[in-house]
Amino acid sequence: MGAGALSTAIVRAPVPRRRAEGNAFVLPAAGLLLLLTLFPFLFTLALTFSRVSLVGGLNLSFAGLGNWHRLLTDSRFWTSLGNTVVIVVGAVSLEVLLGFGLALLLYRPLRGGAFFRVLFIVPMALTPIAVGYMWRMLLNETIGPFNALLQAAGLPPLGWVSGDALPLLSMILVDTWQWTPFVFVLCLAGLQALPEELWEAAQLDGASGGQILRYLILPLMVPTLLTASFLRAVEAFKIVDVIFIITGGGPGTRTESLTLHAYYRGLHAFDLAYGATIAFALFLLVLLSSLVFLRLTRRLRATEVWA
Amino acid sequence: MRRRPPIVAYILLGMWSMVVFFPLYWLVTASFKDALAVHQGPKFLPWVDFRPTLDAWRNLLRGVERETVWGPLLNSLVVGSSSSLLAMVLGASAAYGLARLPVRLGPMANEDMLFWIVSQRIMPPIVTALALFLMLRTVGLLDTRTGLVLVYVAFNLPLATWLMHNFFRQIPPSLEEAALVDGAGRARVLWHVVLPVSTPGLVATFLFCFLFAWNEFLFALILTFNRARTLPILIAAQHTQRGIEWWSLSAMSLITLAPVVLITLLLQGYLVGRVLGGGER
Repeated sequence: MGAGALSTAIVRAPVPRRRAEGNAFVLPAAGLLLLLTLFPFLFTLALTFSRVSLVGGLNLSFAGLGNWHRLLTDSRFWTSLGNTVVIVVGAVSLEVLLGFGLALLLYRPLRGGAFFRVLFIVPMALTPIAVGYMWRMLLNETIGPFNALLQAAGLPPLGWVSGDALPLLSMILVDTWQWTPFVFVLCLAGLQALPEELWEAAQLDGASGGQILRYLILPLMVPTLLTASFLRAVEAFKIVDVIFIITGGGPGTRTESLTLHAYYRGLHAFDLAYGATIAFALFLLVLLSSLVFLRLTRRLRATEVWA
Repeated sequence: MRRRPPIVAYILLGMWSMVVFFPLYWLVTASFKDALAVHQGPKFLPWVDFRPTLDAWRNLLRGVERETVWGPLLNSLVVGSSSSLLAMVLGASAAYGLARLPVRLGPMANEDMLFWIVSQRIMPPIVTALALFLMLRTVGLLDTRTGLVLVYVAFNLPLATWLMHNFFRQIPPSLEEAALVDGAGRARVLWHVVLPVSTPGLVATFLFCFLFAWNEFLFALILTFNRARTLPILIAAQHTQRGIEWWSLSAMSLITLAPVVLITLLLQGYLVGRVLGGGER
C-alpha cells in the first residue's frame, strides 16, 4: 500500500509494467514453494486415498476411504494423538509461565543482566538431536546424574524413561528446557516496548508491585503472550527429534508423537499411504487448533476480559 | 519503580542459570570421560571423581572416527550454507517485490501473497516429507546434497521472506525514490541503493536460515541415508551400530553445537532487539 502512494506521486511508470516488475521479483520464490511445498502437500492428500506400490516405479491405485477408516480405528494413532496434545499443552504452558517470569526479572536494567539474557537464549539455538542425546544421558536411569542425586538425598530412583506417565513428562521437560528461551525473547521484547511513563504514574498513585503487574503489565502483555503461545504450540505439534533420540517413542508407544508414528508407518513399515494419512491428520489438527485459537483470541481481545 | 529486593531476583536467576547450565556441563564433561568413568555410575567433577581424558576427541579428530565424522560435517556445511544463501536471495527478492511494488499472481495480491508464503512455515514437515521422498526418488535426487538443498530452501523461504520484508519496510522509500526519479532502473536501484543498506538484514537472515538448516532433522532423516547425510543423522545413527559410546557421541554433539553457539552469540543482539521486537504482527 505504501508502494501504491509512492508510485503515483513519484514513479510514473504505468501500473501494468510495475506489476510485471513486482511479479518478477516474487515469482522465483513462489514457484519454488509451489513445487516443493504445495505440490507435495496435495500429493500427500492424494496418497491418503491411495494404495502405493514401488515395484517397477511408483504406482498409485485408488483406495477410497480405506486409509482414513483404518486411521479412526487404529488405537496407536489415538495414543500418539493424545501424547502429542499432552506435550503441546504441558510444554507450552510451562514455557509461557517460565519465559514470562524470567523476562519480568530481566527487562529492566540489572547488574549482570546482559550475561543472563545471553545464557538464557542459548538452548533454543542448539541442535535438537544433540539436545536429545544430552538428555538421554541425563535421564539414563543407571548412569545418569538425576537418579544418583535422588538416591544421595535418600529418595527412590525414578523411571524417567521407563515409567508409566513419567516418560511423557520427561519429554515435556526437555521441550521446556529448549524452548522457554523463545517465549523469554518475545516477552522481553514486548516488555521493553511498553511505555515507561505508565508505571511511573501508577507508582505515584501508590500502586504496589503486585498491582502494577496484575493491572498494568499483564493486560498490556496479553497480545504478546498469546502470540508466543500460538507460535510455540504450532512448533510443539511437530515434535519428533528429541523423542526419536531419547525414547524412540517408548516404552511401548507411551511417548510416540504423531510425526514419529507417521514416520514409523511410512518409512519403517513402508506403508507410505497410511503414513501420509497420519501426517495429514496432524496437519488437520494444527489447522483446527490455529483456527480455534485465532477465533478465541479475537473474542478475548474484543471483550477485554483481561483489562 | 518498585524495588523488589534484587537478592530475590538474583536467586531466581541463579536457579534458572543452573537449569540451563548443568545439562551442558554434563555433555562437556562426558566428552572427557572414558568407558570406566561413564559406566561406574555418574561422575560429576573432573580430577576429583574421574580422570579426564582426551581419548574421545583424539579419536574423532585424528583417529579412526575421523572419516566417519568428516563426510557428514562437510555435508552439513555445504547444504547449510548453500541452501541459506539461496533462501536469502530468493526471500530478499520476493520481500522486495512485495514491499515496494504491486504484485498479483493468480488471485493473490501483495498482502495475501506475503501471508501465503509466511504461513507455509506452519505446515508440519512430515506432511510434505513423505511426498518429497517419493518425488526425489522419482527424479533420482534421494540421498544427494542437491535434493536436500532444494528442500531446505523451500523450508527456509517463509522465514527469509518474512525477515527481509520487515527489514525493507524499515528502510525509508525516499532513498530509492530519488534514484528512480533520476531515471535509474529498478534493478540498478536495488543493487546500488537498497542492498548496501540491507547488509545487516541479509546477514541476519542468512544466519537464521543456516541455524535451521544445520539443526534440521526430519527431512534429512527421510531424504538422506548415506552419502548426503548430515551431522544430526550421524548422531542419531550411532546407537544402532555398536552400544552407545557416550564419550564419543558427546564430542560429536559438541562439534555439532559449536557453530550454532557461535551464531547465537552473533545474533543475540538482533534477537533481543530488532527482528522480533519490531517485526511482530
